[in-house]
Amino acid sequence: MASVAQDPAARDPGGSRGSAQGRRALPGWRELGARLLALREGSIIVIALVTAIYFSVNTSTFLTGDNFKTLLPYFAPFAILAAGEVFVMILGEIDLSIAGLYLFAPILFYKMNTSVGMSLVPAVIVALLVCMVVGAINGVFVSVVGVNSFVATLGMLFTLEGLSLIISKGTPVATPGGQPPLGTFGKVFGGGTYSELIWAVAIVVILQVVLTFSRWGLYTVAIGSNKLGAAEAGVRVNVVMIRNYMLCSLTAGLVGVFEAVRSATVQPNPAGPNEILFLAVAAAVIGGTLLTGGSGTVVGALIGALFLGVLKDGLILQGVQANYLLFYTGLAVIVAMTANVFVGRARRGTITRG
Amino acid sequence: MAETADAPSAVPPASAPDDVLRVEHMAKRFGPVTALRDVNLHLRKGEVLGLLGDNGAGKSTLIKIISGFQRQDSGQMFLRGKPYEPKSVDDARAKGVDTVYQDLALIDELSVFHNLFLRRERVLRPLPLLNNREMKREARRALDEIGIHIPRIDVAVARLSGGQRQAIAVARTVNSAADILLLDEPLAAMGAKEGAQILDLVARLKAEGRVSIIMILHNYVQVFQACDRVSMIQDGAIALDKPTSETSVEELTEIVVNEYRRARQAAAQPPA
Ligand SMILES: Nc1ncnc2c1ncn2[C@@H]1O[C@H](COP(=O)(O)OP(=O)(O)OP(=O)(O)O)[C@@H](O)[C@H]1O
Ligand SMILES: [Mg+2]
Repeated sequence: MASVAQDPAARDPGGSRGSAQGRRALPGWRELGARLLALREGSIIVIALVTAIYFSVNTSTFLTGDNFKTLLPYFAPFAILAAGEVFVMILGEIDLSIAGLYLFAPILFYKMNTSVGMSLVPAVIVALLVCMVVGAINGVFVSVVGVNSFVATLGMLFTLEGLSLIISKGTPVATPGGQPPLGTFGKVFGGGTYSELIWAVAIVVILQVVLTFSRWGLYTVAIGSNKLGAAEAGVRVNVVMIRNYMLCSLTAGLVGVFEAVRSATVQPNPAGPNEILFLAVAAAVIGGTLLTGGSGTVVGALIGALFLGVLKDGLILQGVQANYLLFYTGLAVIVAMTANVFVGRARRGTITRG
Repeated sequence: MAETADAPSAVPPASAPDDVLRVEHMAKRFGPVTALRDVNLHLRKGEVLGLLGDNGAGKSTLIKIISGFQRQDSGQMFLRGKPYEPKSVDDARAKGVDTVYQDLALIDELSVFHNLFLRRERVLRPLPLLNNREMKREARRALDEIGIHIPRIDVAVARLSGGQRQAIAVARTVNSAADILLLDEPLAAMGAKEGAQILDLVARLKAEGRVSIIMILHNYVQVFQACDRVSMIQDGAIALDKPTSETSVEELTEIVVNEYRRARQAAAQPPA
């Protein structure tokens, strides 16, 4: 049989150095642009950069260290939430219950610490384990029972929010370990200035590696792309799905604890978490993860969250009225998504779907 | 549904001393649909068995039961003389049974080489990370060896043509360590040349004598070209089981046409 000679040019669509050099005036930039757009995260990187540059030019305070600290809580928690959600979205499912876990985990943590008398770290661990059990329940309902994930996790969302209100009796309480002066626990679990940023970067890096370079990630994509085919090939679909829901719940619970420590208060009010849920999903989608499954990126979700954070921060710096904030955010999400669609089409070349 | 009395007399359990696989009294229903009523089948070591039957006859269902993907309602299987009850696709594969499904079971979003190694990934020890480099190298070698021309193995299979996709699915199964291969219409999307190539591959595998193959085909010319023996499923049971040398396109066609006439007559008669 005629074996295929490995043509190095064919393996490197970004442009092989030798042939391209003569023709291009600015090969570096062109190539960079092409490479960038070839990435799934390409369009959101460009959009986030443009937004950041816009605010740097138009405000005197955007590019300052202080503002960076202001910016952190606008995106780090969303990045962590979105990272977990990406693993569920690639399956072609959704997890709405993350808002419930975000609310529930710190309440559980508080109860474990005050009522049960556990010390801080074991109390957090127990709270997070319970979150993972909730995730497993979500996963079983979606994969084994076959309930639609939107409905199943919406039910879980309401259940958890209701449970949170019942347990807390609707009263805010002081977060254990979150009161000044912060100890090591408080500084590590969300209270330190860079705590959430460090967690976010670490979690995103680890989960991106898992997604791209592990069997778990491969099977996640496989299930989202062709569930029946993956099962026929021998992938244990239910196991992977349950595992991904557990991961998603874990990240949600973790962020819940971080935010409770950072704000020093366990707030049993579902309004905030619900908005956070939608921002996290938006960050994932803007970052290049398909709601229909089969494709996604954790790094993209981080950049998506960064974009939303930069936007909010920049608009506030520009003195945009609070009432306009949500309006502009909405418009920006639509613009970013539209750009995604066009860039995605260009990237796939002739292949168009839907 | 035809009365049992009207059904053609099914072939009783047959066997040979060198059987690697035996299927006895296999039955499977999907709600009101009886896919398999009482199927008896055997596969001898090193042979290529053609599994024939009309659309909806239950061929794929039988394959999926043998491959460990579905569970039968009743009936037994024996692998190399021992009871065979695959608990999963992985389990069947571990016992040496690997399958090309009719729907190919390819993952569009994954690259050619990831598809080739799905569930048999090479990992970097001690870290459980994918050894893509090795998988690419092995995939290239395996495809070349089989004689399948795929220009690039790092593109998503979504970008391949129907025939190329089918070739990847066949390559995945042939490249496994299995010695019983189940091929559900492996030539359906292939051009004449590619189809011939796969049949050549089957002939070569047969000559090596290591594997035994059950292959579903609709094209009788290909059946006579590639198979040692044919089993035809009709009405949920095996209606014919003969070496290809003892049957003919005419006989096979005759059985199908008779079945069609019988069904028409049954439909024309008023219910008793
Ligand atoms: N998962 C399922 N659920 C319900 N019915 C099914 C299922 N799988 C198969 N069937 C039914 O069982 C019967 C046999 O189907 P099967 O796929 O085995 O046929 P086949 O012989 O492979 O046909 P073809 O030549 O068209 O591939 C059909 O009537 C089909 O509708
Ligand atoms: Mg079939």
